[in-house]
Amino acid sequence: MGFRSWISVALQLTMATALLVGCSQPAATPDSAASSGANGVTLKMVESITSPQRTALLKEMLAQFEAKNPGIKVDLISPPFEGADQKITQMLMAKEELDVLEVREFNAKQFSMNGFIENLKPYTDKWQNYDQLTDVAKRRATWVDKTPYYIPNGLYQRVLYYRTDWFNEAGIEVPKTWDELLVAAKKLTDPAKNRYGYSFRGGATGWDYAMITMWAYNGTEVDPDSAFFMKDGRTIFSTPQSLEAMQYYKQLYKEASPKDSVSWGFQEMVQGFVAGSTAMLIQDPDVIDGAKEKMQEGTWATAPIPIGPSGVAQQVVGGPGWGMTSYSKHKEEAWKLIEFLSEPEQSTHFAKKTSTIPVVKSAAEDEFYKTGYFQPFIEMSQQPTKFLDVSRPVDYKGWGAWQSTADKDIQSFLLDQFTAEDLLKKWDQYWTKEKAERK
Amino acid sequence: MTLFLAFAIFPLYWIIITSLKGQKEIFSLPIQYWPEQVTWINYLGIFQISHFQVYIWNSFLVSLVASAMVVFIAMLGGYVLARFSFKGKRQVMFGFLVTQMIPMFIGMAPLYMMMSKMHILNSLFSLMLIYTVMLIPFCTVIMSGFFQRIPNALEEAAMMDGCSRLSALFRVIVPIMLPGIAATFIFAFVQCWNELIMAVLFIDEESVKTIPVAMNAFIKKYDIEWGAMSAATVLSVIPTMLLFAFCQKYLVEGLTQGAVKG
Amino acid sequence: MDTQKPIVTMTKQVVPEGKKSFRISKEGRFIFLCLLPAILFVSVFTYYPLVRGIIMSFQNYTLFDLMNIQFIGLDNFVIVLTSPDFPRVAMNSFYWVFFSLVFQLLFGFMLALLMRKKFRGRGIYQAFIFFPWAMSGFLIGLIWRWMFNAQFGVINDLLLKTGLIEAPISFLADGAWAMAAVIIANIWYGVAFFAIMILAALQSIPEELYEAAAMDGAGRIQQFWRVTLPYIMPTMLVTILLRVIWILNFPDIIYAMTNGAPAGSTHIFATYMIDKVIFGQDYGQASAVGVIIVLILMLFTIFYVKATKVEKGGDF
Repeated sequence: MGFRSWISVALQLTMATALLVGCSQPAATPDSAASSGANGVTLKMVESITSPQRTALLKEMLAQFEAKNPGIKVDLISPPFEGADQKITQMLMAKEELDVLEVREFNAKQFSMNGFIENLKPYTDKWQNYDQLTDVAKRRATWVDKTPYYIPNGLYQRVLYYRTDWFNEAGIEVPKTWDELLVAAKKLTDPAKNRYGYSFRGGATGWDYAMITMWAYNGTEVDPDSAFFMKDGRTIFSTPQSLEAMQYYKQLYKEASPKDSVSWGFQEMVQGFVAGSTAMLIQDPDVIDGAKEKMQEGTWATAPIPIGPSGVAQQVVGGPGWGMTSYSKHKEEAWKLIEFLSEPEQSTHFAKKTSTIPVVKSAAEDEFYKTGYFQPFIEMSQQPTKFLDVSRPVDYKGWGAWQSTADKDIQSFLLDQFTAEDLLKKWDQYWTKEKAERK
Repeated sequence: MTLFLAFAIFPLYWIIITSLKGQKEIFSLPIQYWPEQVTWINYLGIFQISHFQVYIWNSFLVSLVASAMVVFIAMLGGYVLARFSFKGKRQVMFGFLVTQMIPMFIGMAPLYMMMSKMHILNSLFSLMLIYTVMLIPFCTVIMSGFFQRIPNALEEAAMMDGCSRLSALFRVIVPIMLPGIAATFIFAFVQCWNELIMAVLFIDEESVKTIPVAMNAFIKKYDIEWGAMSAATVLSVIPTMLLFAFCQKYLVEGLTQGAVKG
Repeated sequence: MDTQKPIVTMTKQVVPEGKKSFRISKEGRFIFLCLLPAILFVSVFTYYPLVRGIIMSFQNYTLFDLMNIQFIGLDNFVIVLTSPDFPRVAMNSFYWVFFSLVFQLLFGFMLALLMRKKFRGRGIYQAFIFFPWAMSGFLIGLIWRWMFNAQFGVINDLLLKTGLIEAPISFLADGAWAMAAVIIANIWYGVAFFAIMILAALQSIPEELYEAAAMDGAGRIQQFWRVTLPYIMPTMLVTILLRVIWILNFPDIIYAMTNGAPAGSTHIFATYMIDKVIFGQDYGQASAVGVIIVLILMLFTIFYVKATKVEKGGDF
């Protein structure tokens, strides 16, 4: 009985709160009052590649910005990484109040085409630090229509991570080409010991790794501005080199990678490497951070990504950055914030802390990047004819539909439900049609 | 049955163990079934790096208010559905059933726009509102099941004594129905406590984030912070488990009344 | 309380709902006012967005070109229905619902029978059994994905240690295994709901019925078939219907565990729809899949209600 009356009291209480909160909440929501602070401006800003640590770092930097600009306050929105871009898109579609946003290389085109983000040209023209950006960073900034739509905050360039101790044990050198990589990976594979040569990516967006291999096999004949096509206009999928590349790709999976890895995503391939199950991994620089935390010093190192038979290696260097919404009511202030975050000193600090490659030239002289795990990145950027930066055809209408089936196609191919010829033929037809329809 | 128990409990064991391991140990091979060194660092971390106390409070508030609103609305609706037969009743019932068939994603973009126009995004209120809506159909029908078990004579007697129907409902019926109400409340509470997708979409700021949103933040680009994630899971499950253990008698009694119809 | 007593309903004045006429009786107004909040909330925040979603399914609503949205008739439906993925997604959806349901029901039933008896620590025990319910589906998917990993997952390690298998099984790399894996995770998640509902039904069975059956000379097993099962049938039928609807519409676990991999062999309608939004960026096609889901479930429900005669006075 005591319990029963307890419940009844609790119920009455909760209903009272319901009424109270239900009524008082709308007045208490910050966004209605926030946009015009008492004597200044409140900017809304959203980040995309979030993590608790990155958010904390960004908040520190924003506090500095606010201290320097007394009239401006910044509200940072940090949705969980998983689904962040989805949410940002949703906010833009609803024209939800937002001033500064983190744009990714893969959604920049959509955002600009739908008129969500502002052309920053008028601002960058007057900005002295624009020329401080490295070439790759500038290319990322002007990714869409050769116009600056956002200022990158760090570059995600891939390198080869490898287990130095296993390599020493087996007495082999770090591979410099894809062929060498396969030889080394096979040598290091020993399923009995749960050891495999390579951390394969077959899961979400694994198609990007297939593309990297195909590009390396096709070499400089690939059109860097739209790298699903060759310079002569054919699709990349129509060349004999691509067929070779895909056969190689399957061999790498079958002979030197865990069987499981056909469904591995980003997290698993990294986990496989740091847990000591795979000997090699091709990944972004932010993995350095996690590997440092979880692996013994001296058991691993980094190297430039392998080149193909053509003598070059291409990849799409990821470069998220700060952009501005086209409907922002405080564009001057928003630019001030972007400018502040993109100052060489600030952006280098941000890149270091988030374990990415800085976007400014001066960083190449930084001790932090000249030595140790980051050294291969500098090495690669000093050989721009060997390590090329290319673009995906995200400006095609069929991009989304292709992307949503590409992983499935590759997985079918890896699991022998599809031949390499069939796969390439399918993609060749798809992109030939896309190109024809676009004209 | 033992096998099934092992199957049911092992993931829980695994989460707890992981929450007590250090970063290196979580990923080390061979797999450790007992932490070599028990550490509380993950628990400390979720209070220091993220503001877990804030999220717990937010989740608590949202779940409490939404469940209370649901229970209240479902009680009224359920009562009417149980006691009267009227034209349109079948349609109302079918309308409720169809809500359960709608995939969440289909109306999500339009819903976001609506909330945006109403200027209630990024507030706990938006979540309370939407959770209430999501739970009304199921809870109303469950409630109507409870009312059907209670003989009509009770409130008729009260009405003879001069009570209005509404006051008869609250004075006579509700006290008898407390187990059922508690069961519905707990069901609603747990659903709100777990909800992730709407919460991610509607909530922007740290100060109004709920536990599931905060937990998703441990999934980073290249890594899932299993230590912090497990610790957060353990902490977030404790309140609901306590609620279960404490009220299980009522929960089962309550559902008994609602679920079985003669 | 006499559980077998038929429901008393008061059919005094029948008033069409919402139609305001001066002849509205006191009762009619009461009915209307009591249902109003529920109906209002549901129509505004569930049905209005649904209608908008349905409209989208007839438009070329892609993120690629939001400036140029037009009605394109049934194109989205044609694309979805004629896609080579469709038969497979439909089959997977069936397996997903069927096996999840059967095992959830079976285990839930066993659990409920077990817990009907009072024993020490039953409350704690129940709380442990029910705890999956207290987690978000997405998180459950992630945990199982981690545990099922062939290289560093704990399930393979356990199976190897106990000698049940010789070499690790790549659960998530093989279509059939992957489907089994996601279903196992879903069973783990869903047993609690069945257990709780069935337990509730079991506890409402009057002891006298068993006594009467025992007097007729019915053994334990006969008692089960003659008393237990018929008595709890209505609960079971309602619970099963609800679970079918919920399971088919439950993408969280598969989305987190495999997202359809490998090679699309674990996609169900609900995850296929998410895929269309997130990777395909095509809200039109995604909505078309959503509409198809609703239609399938409506047909199923009508068929189910007819076949089982579960409908009583408009209840579901």
